[in-house]
Formats: sequence, C-alpha cells, structure tokens
Amino acid sequence: MKTKFTQILKQRYYLLFFFSLLVQQMHAQQQITITGKVASATGEPIPFANVVIKNTKNGAVTDFDGRYKITAASNQTLIFSSQGYKTIEIAINNATTVDATLAEDAMKLDEIVVVGYGSQQKKDLTGAVSLVKAGEIQKRQVTTVADGLQGLVTGVKVRGGGRPGQEANIEIRGLKNLQNTNPLYVIDGVITSANRDFNPNDIETIQVLKDASAAAIYGSRAANGVIIITTKKGKKGPLKVEASVKSSITTMPRYDLMGTEEFAKLNNQAYDNAGYPRQNLNMAVNTDWQDAVFQTGMINDYNVSVSGGGENSTFFMSGNYFDNKGTVVGTDFDRISFRVNASGTKGIFSIGENIAISNSKTDEMSGNPIIDVYRMTPTIPLYDAANPGGYGYGKQGVADTFGTNPLAIADFSNAINENFRIRGNVWSELKLASWLKYRFNFGYETSFDSYKFLRKIGNWTLNQPVDPSIIDQNKGRSETMLFENTLNFKKQFGKHDLTILVGQTFQKDKYEQIYGTKRNIPINSGTGQYYQVLNQGDSPVVGGFINEASLASYLGRLEYNYDNRYLFNAVLRRDGSSRFSDENKWGNFPSVSAGWRVNNESFFKSEFIKDLKLRASYGELGSGNIGNYEYKSFVNNFGQIVLGTGQTLYPSATQVKLSNSQLRWEKLKQTNLGLDLGVLNNDLRFTADYFIARTEDVLFGFPILLTTGNDGGNPISNAATVENKGIELELAYSKKINEFSFNASVNFTKVNNKLVSLGNGQNENIVGNTMTRAGSPVGMWYVLQTDGLFQNQAEIANYKNADGKVIMPGAVPGDIRFKDVNGDGQITSDDKAIVGSPWPEFEMGLNAGAEYKGFDFSMNWIASHGATVYDGFRSVVDRFDDNSNYRAGIQPWTPENPNTDFPRVTKGSTLNSRGDSDRFLENGDFIRLKYIGFGYNLPERILNKSGIARARLTLSAQNIITITKYKGLDPEFSNGNIFERGVDNGAFPNLRTYSFGVEFSF
Amino acid sequence: MKKIIITTVVFLGLFFTSSCENELDLNSPNDITVDQYWKTESDAQAGVNSIYAMFYKDGLWARWIYFRLDLTSDEGFSNSPWTELADWTRFNYINYNFWEGNAVTWRDTYKAVFRCNQVLANVPNITFQNEDDKKKILAQAKFFRALHYYYAGILWENIPLVLDPSTPADLPQQRNVTEVWAQVEKDLNEAFADLPVSWSGDQTGRPDKGAAKAFLAKVYMQQHKWAEAKGALEYLITGPGAKYNLVANYRDNFTDVNENNIESVFEIQFGDQRKGGTGEDQNAAVSSNRSQFFAPRGIGWSDGQARFWLVNAFKQEKNKDGNLDARLRYTLYYPGLLADFGDKTYGKNWEWGNDEAWFRKGSRDYYRNNEDYYNQVNYRLVRYADILLRYAEVLNELGNTAGAYQYVDLVRARSNMNTLAVAHPEIGNDHDKFLERLKTERVLELAGESVRWEDLKRWGDLNTQASVDKIALRDPDFKNFTVGKNQRLPIPQVDVDNNPNLDQHAEY
Repeated sequence: MKTKFTQILKQRYYLLFFFSLLVQQMHAQQQITITGKVASATGEPIPFANVVIKNTKNGAVTDFDGRYKITAASNQTLIFSSQGYKTIEIAINNATTVDATLAEDAMKLDEIVVVGYGSQQKKDLTGAVSLVKAGEIQKRQVTTVADGLQGLVTGVKVRGGGRPGQEANIEIRGLKNLQNTNPLYVIDGVITSANRDFNPNDIETIQVLKDASAAAIYGSRAANGVIIITTKKGKKGPLKVEASVKSSITTMPRYDLMGTEEFAKLNNQAYDNAGYPRQNLNMAVNTDWQDAVFQTGMINDYNVSVSGGGENSTFFMSGNYFDNKGTVVGTDFDRISFRVNASGTKGIFSIGENIAISNSKTDEMSGNPIIDVYRMTPTIPLYDAANPGGYGYGKQGVADTFGTNPLAIADFSNAINENFRIRGNVWSELKLASWLKYRFNFGYETSFDSYKFLRKIGNWTLNQPVDPSIIDQNKGRSETMLFENTLNFKKQFGKHDLTILVGQTFQKDKYEQIYGTKRNIPINSGTGQYYQVLNQGDSPVVGGFINEASLASYLGRLEYNYDNRYLFNAVLRRDGSSRFSDENKWGNFPSVSAGWRVNNESFFKSEFIKDLKLRASYGELGSGNIGNYEYKSFVNNFGQIVLGTGQTLYPSATQVKLSNSQLRWEKLKQTNLGLDLGVLNNDLRFTADYFIARTEDVLFGFPILLTTGNDGGNPISNAATVENKGIELELAYSKKINEFSFNASVNFTKVNNKLVSLGNGQNENIVGNTMTRAGSPVGMWYVLQTDGLFQNQAEIANYKNADGKVIMPGAVPGDIRFKDVNGDGQITSDDKAIVGSPWPEFEMGLNAGAEYKGFDFSMNWIASHGATVYDGFRSVVDRFDDNSNYRAGIQPWTPENPNTDFPRVTKGSTLNSRGDSDRFLENGDFIRLKYIGFGYNLPERILNKSGIARARLTLSAQNIITITKYKGLDPEFSNGNIFERGVDNGAFPNLRTYSFGVEFSF
Repeated sequence: MKKIIITTVVFLGLFFTSSCENELDLNSPNDITVDQYWKTESDAQAGVNSIYAMFYKDGLWARWIYFRLDLTSDEGFSNSPWTELADWTRFNYINYNFWEGNAVTWRDTYKAVFRCNQVLANVPNITFQNEDDKKKILAQAKFFRALHYYYAGILWENIPLVLDPSTPADLPQQRNVTEVWAQVEKDLNEAFADLPVSWSGDQTGRPDKGAAKAFLAKVYMQQHKWAEAKGALEYLITGPGAKYNLVANYRDNFTDVNENNIESVFEIQFGDQRKGGTGEDQNAAVSSNRSQFFAPRGIGWSDGQARFWLVNAFKQEKNKDGNLDARLRYTLYYPGLLADFGDKTYGKNWEWGNDEAWFRKGSRDYYRNNEDYYNQVNYRLVRYADILLRYAEVLNELGNTAGAYQYVDLVRARSNMNTLAVAHPEIGNDHDKFLERLKTERVLELAGESVRWEDLKRWGDLNTQASVDKIALRDPDFKNFTVGKNQRLPIPQVDVDNNPNLDQHAEY
C-alpha cells in the first residue's frame, strides 16, 4: 500500500509540473505600483482577499501573507473584500503602500447559497435551506458525505453503520414516501448519488434543500429533499498545495455473552425444564466468538490537492487514497480518486469542467457475523477437522444449532465489488448581455462495476449439503447523460430586483450487465488456490440485461426582491418520465414562496434585533422513484420443465409478476413557515421552521394477496397518502473575545409521521411485528403484550376471561402471561395491539467549538428520544427454545428464583420465546458523543523557515460516549426496511473511532 | 454575432425538446410484455408448460408440501433444531404467516392456479392448426388447476377459488370445501374429455385420461362419494383406460432407473440438469429437495424423519417364504437395515438412534452417499398400487367386501405376501375389520408417499378424540392435536387481514 501511495505522489508530481506551465501570469499597466497588506482586525493576514480598482475590472488577490501588489492610477480607489469580512474602500491618494484592515462581517448573511441552477444570498432565501460547513464533515472520519451530516442539520436524520464501504441512509423531514428516503444529490450540477465512490474531502459547500419551494427546481426527483454539493475550485493566486493524512483505528462495541461454564448451566436448565435429555456439551471448549471475528479496524485517508488560478482561469486538482480494514474479519474497502476542476473565461464566453475519477473496491462482508457471534455457542470450537472444510459448527445432541460459523463463511464465501467511476460535467456560459446569461451544462457519469463471488468447498453449519465450488461474476456499466439548457435573466429596476430562469433538461440513464456462473471450479495445482476465472468449471449459466430510463423537463423560476424587504419566489417544473404509461407520463409541479425582511422596514428600529425575516412557502413535487418498467407486465421464460422418456428439457413461459398499468406521479405537497432572527449583534441566531408535508399517491408495492399468486416482488401502485408535520429549531451563538472565540449551536427536530390512507382498498398493512394503519404513523409496533410471569399453578388456573375460560391452560409456572386483549379466552394473533412507536418524539444535535491561539476544539452530540425499538439480539439470545449463546448474568425464573422478569427457560416450547410480543421491545433513547476533536495549528515562527504555510495536527474520536438503556449493540442502528425501521436485526453498529491527522499547506 | 448565438440557442433548445420527448417511450429490451404474448401455438405450449414448473417450487412438490402431507401425518415427524419448522409438523401453529410452514405453500398453490388461469383465459384466442392440440392444452390447465385445488382443499379446506387471471387488487371470495370439491370435479371431468389416452414418448409426464380419473377418484373418495369413485377407478382397472400393471420390482417406483413405468398413473418429472434455486431465476432448478431435507443427520438436513412404529408394522407379517416384507427395505432407513437386508445407510453403518428411522423412498443411496438440492428421481404422485387399494376400499364401502380382496391381493402378491384371506382369516366379510386392515395395507405399500394425511381425513380418524388418542400412541405429536381444529391448517393471516372476503377458520 505504501508503494501505491508513493506512485500516486509521483504521478501527482508530473501533473503538477504540467499544470504549473499553464498558470497564467498577470501583466500590469504602466502606472504607479502599490503594495500593501490586508489583515483582519486582530492583525492576522487575510489571504485571497480581493483588491479591485473601483469602477474597473482590474484587481489583484492577496497572497498567503495577505500581501498584494497592484498597479493603478494614483487618484483611483481600491476596494478590499473577502468572504466573511466587510468590504471597505480606500482612496490611493498617491500612496504606494496601502494597508487595509477588514472588520469581520457580523451579519454572516452574505453567505452564498447554491439553490440549483443558480445561487442566492442567504438573506434572500424564502425556502428552507440549510448550509453545512464542509469543514465540519471533513473533520470526521467518514466514508460518505451522508455519514458526516449526522447531527449537523435540523430535519436531517442520518443512520449509518461501520461496515467498510457502508453507505448511510439519509431522511430529510421524515418519511415522505415508502420507496427510498435518500435525497437527490447534485454534485457540481450533475444529478447523482454521493456514494462511497465520492471523496468527501473535495467538498467546498453543502446545502440541504428541505422544503418544496427550495427543491422545486429539481422537480420530480426532489421529493426527498436535495443535497447540493459543490467541489473545490481554484482561486486566483499563487499555486497552493495542501496535503493531509488521517489515520484512525476503529473498534466494535461488544455483546456481553456467556462463557462455557455459565452457558452449560442454563442450557442444561432449558433441556431439563423441557423434559429433554441434556445435550452432551463439549465442556472442554470455551470459544469467544467475538474475539475470533471482531478485530481492530484501521482507516487511512490520504489527500493531496493543488490549486491555483490566474486572471481568467482557475484549476483545482486532488488525489485521495482511502483504505479501511474492517472490524470484522474478511472485510475491507479502499478507494482511490482523482479530481480536476478547471474554468476559464474569455470575453462573454466562459467554460469549465469538473471531473472526478475513482476506483473503489470492497471486500464485502459475507453472512452476518454480527448475528453469528451470538448464535454460536461457546461450546463449539472454532475449528473441527471432522467437518468438511475444517471449521467447527453445530452438532446434533452436542451443540444443536444451525448457527453459522462466521470464520468459515468468511473463508468459503467471498464477494468483491469493484467500481470504476467517472463523474463530471462540462459547462459553458454566454453572457449575452449584462442581464442575460445562457448556460449549457452537460453532465456525465459512468461506472464500470464488477462483482466477483467465489464459493469454496467447505461447510459452515450443521447438516449442510456439500456444495460444489462456484464462481459467480458480473460486469455492469451504468451511464447517465444530462443535458441542460438554461437562460438566466437578472435585472434591477430601481427597488425592484428581478431574476428569471427558464430552462430545459433531459436525462438518460442506462445500466447494462452481463453475468456468468460456473460450478466445480478446480484448484490451481500451481498456486494451491481456486481459479478465479470463468474459464474453469462446468455447468455454465450466462445472462445479461439492459435497463433504461429517461426524463425530460422544462423549468422556470422567478425571484423577485423589492427593496430588500419583500421577497418572492415562484417555480414551475414540468416533468415527463419514461417510467409511466403514455397517459400518465407528464406532471406539472408548481411552488411559490415569500419572505419578509422585517428588520429592513423603516418602522422597525431595534438595536437588539439585527435581523428578522419571516418566510412562507408552498410547493408540489412529483416523484417517480420506481423501477424502470414497473407499469408493464412481462413474460418470464427462464423456467424449463422435464418431460419424456428421455427426461429432456422443454421451454416454459408465463407471467409471474403482476403490475399496475395506471401508475402516475407521486405528489408531495409541502407547506413551510419559517422565521430567522438575529440578536446581540447577530451573535445569537435563531431559526425556526414548521412544515406540513403531505405525499399523495405514494408509489409503493404493498403486499398484495397471496391468492393472486404473484411472485417476484409486489407490484407498485399509487397506494397511500402519508403526512409529516414537523418543527425544526436551531439556536446558534458565537462570540469572539480577543484571541478566544467560541461557538455553540443546538438543533432540535420533531417530526410526526402519519399514514393518512392506504390504497388498494386496504386498511392496514402488517410487516413483521409492525402495523401500518390509516391514521397512525408508519410501522407501529403491533404485538402481544406480556403481563409478568405466572408464579404458580394457581395463577395459571385463575387466569380466566369473563366467561371463566382458562386463557393459558398450557402454561407452566415461570411462563409469560400474555394479555387476552379481545377476551376470547385464548391467546391468538387477534390479541395483538399497537403498543409503541419506532419514531423518535424528537431528535437533537449539539455542536460546540472553541478556539484559542493555535488551539481549537469542537464536539458534536446527538440525542434521540421517544423511539421504541425491537432488540433482535435479545429476541435470539433470550429465547432458549433454539440454541444460541445467552446474555451473561441473566437470572431466569426458577422455583428458587421467582423474583425476576426473565421467564422460565425451556427448550421445549416457543411460548416464552415468541418474537411477536413486547418482550423484546426496548426504549431506544440515546445520547451520543458523535464527534470530539482537538486541533493545533503550528505557530508561524516555527514554520517560517520550512516553506510550509500552514501545518495542523488533529486528534479526534467518534462515538466514544453513548448513554442509553438499549441492550443491543448500538441504538443508532439502521434498517433499510421502511416498515421495520425500529428493528435492530444484526445491523452493523457505528464504530468507536480514534483518529490522528496531519495537514500541511504550502 | 449575438443573433447567431441566440438563433443557435433557440434551435438547440427546440432540437432537444423534440428529440427527448420521443425518448420517453422506452420498452424493456429484456423481456416480452404480456400483451405481446399469447399469440402463437408455441406461446400456448410454453404457457401450459409453465404450470409443470410449479412442481419445482419449494412451497409445493420440491420441498415443503411433504412437511404438510408426510411429516404432519403419523408416519413422520420433525426433530429439526429449527423449532418453528418442527412445530408446524406437530400442530403448534403460532405465527400463521410462517412462510415455510404455511404461507409459501398457500402462495405457490395460487401461483400455480394463476398459471392455469392464464392458459385458460388466453389460449382460446390463439389460432391453432389443429384444434385438438388447443383442447389438449386447455385440458392440461384444467387438470392442474384441479390438482392444486385438491391439495389446497385437503390442507385448508375453505379457500378462495380463483378462476380468472389475477390482478393486483383481487379480493377473491372464500368458498366452502364442498364448493372447492365441486370445482375440482368439474375441471377434472372437462380435462378428462380432452386429454389423450396416452402421450407420445417425448411427452411422457403430461396427464392423460387415466390421471384425470385417478384424481376424480381421490376427490370423490374424500367426499365419500363411493359410487362415483368406483366408476372413476374402474376406468383405470377394467375400463378403456386399463393399461396399468404393477412393476415386478417394488423399488422401481422410487428410483430414476425405471421412471414412467407401467405402474405410474401420474408422475412428477424431476431432473438435475439445472442447478439453480426454486424461484424464477434464469437457471431455476427442475429438481426435488425432499431427500436433502429428509436424509439422516450428517447426510441431509434431517428436518423430517419416519416414526419408528412403521418398522414394527412391517415386521408384523412375514412373506410367503417366511422372510421380512421386502417393502420395509425400500421404505425406511432403520437400525436393523444392515442386519435384515444387508444394506448400509448411504454407505454408513447405523450411527443414529436405536429408535430412529428415516424415509428411503426417492433417496439416492443406490448410487451416491449424500444428497443435495438436485434430486432427479420422479415422484409417483399416483401409482397403480394406490388405485388398486382405493378400489378395494371403495368396494368395501359399497358393501362388496368379498369383491375387494382380490385387489389387495394383487398388491400383496407383488411383494411375495400371502393373500389377505390366508394371512388374516379373521377379517372375513366384516366391513370394519377389512377397512382397518386396509389402513395397514396402505401404510405398508404407500408409507412416505404423501397419501397418509388425506387417508386419515377420509377415514374420519381425525374426527374423534378416541381415534386421535389412538394415533397419538404411534405419534406423540398428536397429543397436541385439537379435534375439530387441526384437521386443517390456519389460513395465512396476511391474506385474512387484507381480504374482507376471507375469514380465518373460526377455531384459529
């Protein structure tokens, strides 16, 4: 790996040399030459500040020391500006040295927000848009952008996990549809997904468009919100080189499980209680499966970037190598990526490109070791030469379990995914007039995907048939092309400020794959390893398919600002999608929003309140987030049948999967009311939003009746109406006192989800232990209720319904008493009731940071309150009717130990272990220190002679403190099933991560 | 200059507009759509063939239905460490949606029905060169719809009857089991009319007139319509369809070496050519998984095994030569197999419990020492020995006990057993004694062939506590059996919950 890195550095060096030739030099005119230094109020130099001669286009940019040099006429005036500082003007007055001191801009409202096909100043926003500092994400050790957003933005919920290459799920403002909650990502104008192929270090800005009016310009794809990412650009000035290295170690949280001695006691008890002969346990073995499978993970993240620019062109290049050795044996992820962003202008014409190339490779986790480690009993040895393949696993009468040996699976079943991706765009702009701009953008993304699976011979579970060696490979290619034509009109008429955008876009997506499988792959006698190619083996199966989709859109936006007091914004988008039938292809999606900047009213005079803005918006968004050909029915001709005396194969073909031909756009209608307030010289800022998001005609494949005989997935229908109402609050304070600066912010999100109605004439939908019923939130817990334990036979005999019928005559003292909710004298599925919600009542984030001289500190806490979750771990280890390891220290009911809530353990009955009761529901509240970090910038006096402009050391940790009562591995788990969001069934936990980083720039 | 640019922009805009709107019509390049299908004879042929492919699905005759028919009966049981799976063979039904135990068999039944209904709805509109070919295709679809509804009637009794191609929003009406039987009779009678007397060699495995009559006999007998059953059976024994006989070698009914033989009335054709799963994938298998699930521990999953009373039942009566009934040898693996007949168990000496036994029929130990998911041995769903014993039963029920003997004797003679009158003179012409003996005869001949559950139901042995208690002596799982409830399975709750026209059985 080290050599790989050196290679990258070498390649980098040549590129750097090449590009340095391109950097243009500036030529000044023969007037007087002025030099000077631009510094902040505290005396720190401000690099990259703009120095422009008033009423001209001529200017210069300060260097790292804040120094500039410019040639101007002696009577001209210089304008000094830099983002985050107030702009000042200084007349030259024949001076050859003009120093400028810029005051920090307390308003902090001049931040530019990219809103899609344009940008706005933050103060002019009328919709709900959040801005995330890229630095906050880059501080953390994350694989994808999504991981880094947790806790930073109101209304944005992130759930990830620590598997190498695992991609986190994002949910913006609740569950608005039932397909996919992930938002639309727009990276440099390319509509895409910010998956693990994307290097988060390249990010310059992130904005999260949350409400319909903000996201409306992206129309049909924006219903889940939009995350707009721009990548770093070069800046005018000398070449700047930045390098960083960050290394982290990661560790798994652990279950507290029994060793052999304790295990044997309870296992025997379970058999005794069932009246079964005890197992002949292997007491000589005491395997700690967690020790065998979990390991300390390692993440290395290397970044180098070079940027620069001249008068008319800028460039930015970066290279990244990211390597993550997993915390579970046999897992690994690595990524190598390069980026080149460049732009240039000549006259009214400008052109630019952003392109990233990446290759990422994942050694995928096979099976689920998170579950295996507790399904395997400590009496099973890791290795057992008597088994095919040599690994230990269950044995009837000795260790009766179908638990799978995770080491064996990691050895015998190996899957590798590799993706080579090119993503980028080329744009050009024509400034037809000072008020009219035409822009053409061509976005392109392609990915070459390769999947390789090798099944070696060997067993991992009891009674498993001996499978032959199998190789399964596929090669796929995805391609997305995006064409966008936009015209931008921007003009001021007195106090009226008008911006109009019209445009037209077309996107085409294509994915094709070929695959092949063969069996009985031999071992190469030369290497002793299995062949990894499809040339070998027998029984070939090959196949391939192509999926295509296209989307055509027209869009228009009007922004109107009257006197910086009244803001108005309207968007109309018309989308046509290939995913719907002819009569339903097109949908129109309008939105309007308005803002009132109260503090700019003449009647409003307050020294205390610096900023006050009220916002309101309403918008409709369409969504067509479904498979490519869902509205059509197809004939499956894969099957064959055997017939005839020769027992030969004959073709078979039929419709297997049903479909709805009348699918139409899913429609999200969202209303947003917002308030922005800044007081105490804007040191204290408060933002509040209230929203109602109602999604109609939700596209979803609800289970249809089994009697339809449908197979191959539930047909999509416009099934339901879902409503989310929520409040988002953010309070932020920042203050600078001399050399000490301090900031803190608290964000609060509360979302109430409700299923308004379920289509298809259905009233409810049960998935696992959840009930989705009109009028209540999606996926409520729907289970039997436990009511303590029977202490003796009399209690069982007396547990009767109103008619005197003994409700649980088969129970034994120590068994769970279930509530007979419908009073029919027996415990059946009819006794299930809604007992809890998997939805948190609210979620919070706390961010705080401080800086003093070269030191800085920051931390992020997240908290979730009110969710009830299903502990899949406990539903396995506490059941006892199916052998597994058990939680250390449990005290089950026995006649001698009646004062416990843990029922009698028995191998013979599923009564106590039934998974559809509230026994395994737990409080999912938690508070977590998501991130804590310290940084130190080496003082200039040390660096002076080294030629290094900046050097920084960082030390940080993630997920190191978690306060929770949850008994599973990690309360911040994710479950991709929308109805079973609260079920923790072997989810890969978030890892404790300790990182050390070094950053240089020169 | 400006004009040129603007013109270009406008032109480009219009170009994209017109071209991209056409691009919105995308067809899948991968498959033919349903409305493009059902146009030709070969479409019809492949369509009806797809019904046969349902035998290879795990809910039906590839796997799980044997758990319902063989293991739930007193012939078998499950000692699986997968407790829920085992519970579903011993009347511990807790989660009615349990996929492997209930829902998948229900779903696959209707999946098969959907295929039948597609053929029945679409094929009549296709022009055939020879109208007879079309009739044969429709008759096959009717035969299979009847077959699947027959077993569904046995398992769940009151079920919805779906007779048209499914649509996603269907809410079919539940029917009483008598209506189900009526539909099965109707389909079989119509199928009988158009099915051929026999198929050419390359089409062997398709149902013929004899198969239709055999299933008619089964459905009549379940309703105790003895006279109708007699008529149906006579077609195969003495009537125009009397082309059957018993194979000399009993074992030829359970291996792949003499398939579709003269004893076979209807046989599921399995093969091992395709090594895929039981789903709808490109390489979907055409095999049975039964032996992988029923083979002894260490050889297969051993999720199902035979009750030991079967071994003793065989040993009650010696054959004409004073030796053990050879049917025992080919029916079961049991501790004495090596001593009694010289056979090892998959090449191993007995290493399992002294009171344990496993089903041997359909297993492949005659040429290999393990099992897998690709068993190619055809499953004889109805064979002539079953027909003969049924005929004897029907005659006995109709009062002709004396006439029934010869048919039992035919079956006994093949296994070198004495005639019934010689071996069991106490029976005489006593209806009840004859029936009682016939129950044993059916076990000895047909154990492990998925007929026991319907036999127990037909005989009323599941209807009284006294008779269930008797069964429980052989199979303690029947201690869990609730009379009036467990003779049928609960309907998968998801369908009950989502279909207002479908009720769960009141007892569940």
